[in-house]
Parts: sequence; structure tokens; C-alpha cells
Amino acid sequence: MYQSESVIRNHYNNINDWLDQMTSKVILEKNAEAETHFRNIGITFSTNNETARERIIPFDLIPRIFTYTEWLRLERGVIQRAKALNAFLADIYNQGEIIKANIIPKEIIYKKKSFEPSMFGFSPPRDIYSPIIGIDLVRTGPNDYFVLEDNCRTPSGVSYMLENREIMMRMFPDLFHNNRVTPIDDYPTRLLQTLMSLAPIKCENPEPVCVLLTPGPLNSAYYEHSFLSDQMGIEMVESTDLFVEGKYLYMKTVDGPKRVDVVYRRIDDDFLDPLCFNPQSVIGIPGIMDVYRTGGVNICSAPGAGIADDKAIYIYVPEMIKFYLGEQPILDNVETWNCEKEQELKYVLANINELVVKEVDGSGGYGMLIGPKSSKSSIDEFKTKLSTNPKGYIAQPLLDLSFSPTLIKNQVEGRRVDLRPFCLIGEQAQLSSGGLTRVAMNEGSFVVNSSQGGGVKDTWVLAE
Amino acid sequence: MLSRTAEYLYWISRYMERAETTARLLDVGYRMSLFPNPSGYNNEWESVLSAAGAIEGYKNKYDTIEQKNVEDYLFFDESNPSSVYNCILNARNNALVVRTSFTPESWLAINKTYQEILNLKEQKFTKSDLPGLTEWTIEQVNLFRGSLSSLLRNDGYNFLFLGLFIERADNSARLLDVKYFVLLPKPQYVGGNIDNMQWSILLRSLSSFRAFRWAYDGNITATKIADFLVLNNNCPRSLSFCIQNIVKHLTNLTCSPEKVGRIYNNLKDLNTKIQEEKIETIVEYGLHQFVTQFIRKISSVDNEIHKEFFN
Repeated sequence: MYQSESVIRNHYNNINDWLDQMTSKVILEKNAEAETHFRNIGITFSTNNETARERIIPFDLIPRIFTYTEWLRLERGVIQRAKALNAFLADIYNQGEIIKANIIPKEIIYKKKSFEPSMFGFSPPRDIYSPIIGIDLVRTGPNDYFVLEDNCRTPSGVSYMLENREIMMRMFPDLFHNNRVTPIDDYPTRLLQTLMSLAPIKCENPEPVCVLLTPGPLNSAYYEHSFLSDQMGIEMVESTDLFVEGKYLYMKTVDGPKRVDVVYRRIDDDFLDPLCFNPQSVIGIPGIMDVYRTGGVNICSAPGAGIADDKAIYIYVPEMIKFYLGEQPILDNVETWNCEKEQELKYVLANINELVVKEVDGSGGYGMLIGPKSSKSSIDEFKTKLSTNPKGYIAQPLLDLSFSPTLIKNQVEGRRVDLRPFCLIGEQAQLSSGGLTRVAMNEGSFVVNSSQGGGVKDTWVLAE
Repeated sequence: MLSRTAEYLYWISRYMERAETTARLLDVGYRMSLFPNPSGYNNEWESVLSAAGAIEGYKNKYDTIEQKNVEDYLFFDESNPSSVYNCILNARNNALVVRTSFTPESWLAINKTYQEILNLKEQKFTKSDLPGLTEWTIEQVNLFRGSLSSLLRNDGYNFLFLGLFIERADNSARLLDVKYFVLLPKPQYVGGNIDNMQWSILLRSLSSFRAFRWAYDGNITATKIADFLVLNNNCPRSLSFCIQNIVKHLTNLTCSPEKVGRIYNNLKDLNTKIQEEKIETIVEYGLHQFVTQFIRKISSVDNEIHKEFFN
């Protein structure tokens, strides 16, 4: 919000005035109102502890604001990246040009668990493997944005983006009269259009039948699944609602079987088809991969799309952009050391006090070491881990994430934030006019993950 | 519509209806407990437990029948499948799965109820709270039913109302039966003041006391009340009203006419019979026998609905 110590950036002036005139009593009331609203609509986490009440993510009342020009650059950068990632997937599951060109070594692709051999030689509709991509961004200076990671499988959080806006408009309508905030509520419609534009070749329906496939109510993103299907007006199915007959996929309805054209799946590859992936799996639809490969149904995202967001592949995304699109990357990667390489491992071990070490397959802010903030014993523990299993880790410098004004005990304080906008690629590529801003609610913390005390904010993109 | 969605909708309204019945039963027990307890009458709380079909479960848990325990068992107990708490929990869990098939208001009505009963459960309740709990439950169920008026009149709507009237038919029949055969005093009490008082309590518990007064002149008699609760098409809790509505929502279904036809064939006789029957004939034949048969028939219709639509 601040340009320097005491100068407020222009586009935050309105918010500053608004904050000044809110008493702490009002803040308390509005916080309680937001919490009640989130509980009532059910935007909660399931926890493993069944007797505990469902948790809600802390919501901060102060929006994070992007100007139109700031956003324009992010938009171009994210779409560029999403296109390159899809081009990469199409390439490695077919000719493998990027390997032949010696840009990415073939071992790190073909030996990965997230690489799916059964996808080899198959091209999904429009060559789109990952139609919904969530890109995690951080900012370290006025124009310095870095991509922290790509999410090409089933990125979640978009329901928070939409509900955060909803509650802000409900609680503070005046804010929206006085600021020109680009609306985001057409996201579900655009998502549906994207899915419909990816109908399989054998689809005869001018309006393809799409469904959202969920693992069920115990999944922590279940609210989002039901929210999105509700907003799109499509069925939310579990795998037991689907079955394969002949060369098509059907859902069981009260009218009898109904053919399904596009499956927006929110379950992992392993649980898609017990005949193809995990024979032990009790969930899944036997035969769906056969239907998929013969063009009877489309699965979004494609099985095996996860290889594109692997932390070891991440390093090569700027190269991909140059290779496939012939463009210079608009958004930078964070400098990353691949511990699999001996030289880089050496550097990491020598400088571990200044670095962040992450598990290649880790997520949710778990299994990572923040060197400057860790005790000697945990650093030693990670040194041993690194030496015994170097290829399981990458390291990055500790980025000085930007601060955003946040209400802590009725006082405005700076807290670190990141941003996940959502990119859709079907017939056209587009970016949500906003995203999910996650905020590290604890003072001095760098971890924004909700599992570790992170909160969320409404994210504004101002109209031109 | 997904078969599973239809099934969940059907059960949501069954659970909500059941929550209301259980709460109303507790109210019956509460009112009766305020009256002197002459010899020859069964313990009112035991009758309430039988009517709720919870007597066995209760006896497994408690040695003696006491108001405090009965209240807890019927309202909050997680081990009692028909407790108000479990009904609301189940309705809410089902609603979570099918919230895409009804309006945001319906989801809110159910989810708010669930959030509130969690709070109620955390607070200790006292004896005098029971009427409050009953009132609260009825209010919540009414909110839910009211929210249904904004639904699309499609098959989902009909499945919701099929569930509601199947459950209500069963509940009303059981309440009637309990009055006659569990509360039944020694023969000399039949038609006496206490007997009539209990009938009035039954009417109140079905929120039909005033309605009954409007519908029938003169004295409250057992026959009149039986006529009201079995055959009166204007009484929204009577068996005949329930059957009519089951037929209506069944035949309004647009999916699978042949399935609808099969279930309708099974139901047709009962419907005709109940429309043409006189209450005197039923009483002569035996209200208990009649009600038992009715309950059996409703349960077979429920089975068929499951078999035809939800598998």
C-alpha cells in the first residue's frame, strides 16, 4: 500500500480513507459478520478430526489492489506461461522436440511418477492438456513479480476468490460505488465455456454435457466442487455415478443412462481408472481411459498433466517459453538450485542458512526449510536429508515477499502476501480479473498456506 | 437428474420431517408430564420413546426412564439415529452433496440450522428449555419448507415432496397408533376426561388443535379425532392427505413413466380405499389394524421408490 515509508500509493487512497473512518467496534462487527457468512454458506475446511467443527480460513477485510496497468502485465505473463506449459505437455507426450533439442534432459521427464506413459501418442481436443492453470506469484518490488509455482492439475481456491468478493460487496457496498473494481463473477460461466469448447471428437451434442467429478464430501475442497458445479449448472458426480458402456461414458440418472462429454475432474490421476492406474483403488471408473483415448469423452485436466507443474520441471519453464512461443518470458522464475546436480547441491549445502529448501513433491507449506528462520538442529536435519536424497529437493533464495495492509487486532499492520490468479485455456486463453490473495497472518511469517495459519483477502483489479 | 441426487433430496426432506416429529413428540411428553399421573396410565415418557421408535436404543443406554435422559436421547444423542441432532446432521450432509440441485436459500436454511444445533448442543440445557427446543426445531423446519417454494418445479422438487409425505404418512400413523395402543388406558377410561385430554395433546403435538376445532363442531370425541387424522383431506397431517400428495408428486414426475406406473399401481388401492372409507367402519374393523396395514403399505411404497429410482 505504501510507496515509501509514509507515502501512500495513489490507488490505495480510497481504502486508506475508508479505514480511517472505521471504528474498532465496526471492524469487530464486520469480522464477525464475515465469519458467520462463511460458516453459513459452508465455505469451510473439513478437518481430519471428525468431532471438531469445520474450520474457516481467516478473512482479512482490507482488499489488495492492482492497477489496470499492473494487471495487464501479469495477465500477459500468466497467459504466456500457461500456453507454454500446454505446448510442453503436447510435445513430451508426442515428438519430444524439447528433449531432442537438449533443453530438458529426458530422465527428469520420463522417470517422474507424474509422467503418464499411457498418454503417449494421444492428443486431447485442441491439444489442451491443462485448461485451468493456477499460477502462484509473489512480488518483491514495484515491478518485480516472480512465479513461485505452477498448478496444472486441479488448482483450487477460485471459490474463495469469488466468495471473498461477494462478502465484501455485501458488507461494504459503498467501497464499490467509490472504486471501479473489475467484476469477477463471470468466472464460472467462462469456465463452463472453456470446458464446452473442449468437447471430444465423437461428441454429437451441440451443447456438450459437462460434469464435475469429485472424490466426495470428505475432500477438503468439496465446498469448491459443489460451488462451481452449482454456478455452472452442471452435475457434480462421484465416480459411482459414472459407468462405461461400449465406447462412451454415462451417468446414472432417474431417466436412465445419460451420456457425458466432458469430465472436469477434481480427483487425482491415480483414482481415475482402476484398470489403467491403480488397481487397488476402490474409487474410479473402470474403462474411462479407453473411452478417453478413443475420443468418447474428454478428461480435464488430462491424465499426466501434472508433470508440467513438477518442481524439477519448473526450472525449465522460461526455456519452454522461448522454445515453443519464441518469446521472452514476461514473468520471472525464482532462482532455483536443483539439488540433483552435484555442483548445485554443493552450493545449497554451503549456503543453506540463507536458502529455502523444498521437497520436490511437497505442498501446503509442509516439508520445507526456511534457512534464515530455522534452528541449527533442523538445518542439520535437512543437510542429512539433502545428502541422502538430493533429487528429492530444490532450493531457492528467501524472497522478501511484498507486504499488504492487514487488520491485526484492529490495527493495520503489514503482512506478507502471494497471489494465485486463474488462467483458462480452451477455444481462447483468458485470465480471471483477480485471484486469490493469501496472507501470512503471523508477524514475520513467510508461509501463506491456509494449513499453516494463512488467511485470504479480496483482490481488486481496477478498471482502466 | 442423477439417481443419487434424487435419493439425497428424498432423504433430506424425510430427515427434516422426522426432526420435526421427534421434537413434537418431546413436546407431547412434556405437556403430559405436567398432568397428574393416575394409575392405569403408562409412563408418558415411555410412550414418547415408543412413538419415536427409540425405546430399545434408550433402554440399552439407560436403566430408568427419566425426562432429562429422554430429552437428551431424543434431541441430542448421537447414538440415536432419529434424534433431532442426527436428523439435522444427516439432512445437512445430504444437502452438502446436492446443494447444486436446490436453491441457495434451501441450503442456507439447512446449514444455519446445523450450525445452531451445534451451538445448542454445546450449551447445557435445563428442564425448562424443552418447549424452547421444540419451538426452535419447528421454526427451522418451517424455514426449510418455505425455502422450497422458490425451487424449480422439476423432478427434484417432486422427490423432495415424495420424501416429505412418505415420512409424514408414516409419522402420523405411528402417532395415532401410539395414542391408541401405548397410551391406551384400561377400557373404563376410554372416552373419559383423561382420555380426551390425551387426544387433545396429540392434536396439539400435530399442531392441529385449532384446526380441529374449526373443522368439527361440538365435543371432542375419539371418533372425530380419528376421522380428522385419518380421513380428512383438509388436514395436512392426515393419512389421506399424505397419500393424496404422494400420488400427486409421484405422478408429476417426468422421468421414466413406466417406473412411475409400477409404483402407482401399488398405491392406487390404498388411495381409493382411504378416499371412500367411513371412520365408523375403520373403528369397527380396528384402528390399530388399519394403521398397521397402512404403515406396512407406506414402507413397501418407499422400498419401491428406492428400487425403481435410486439404484
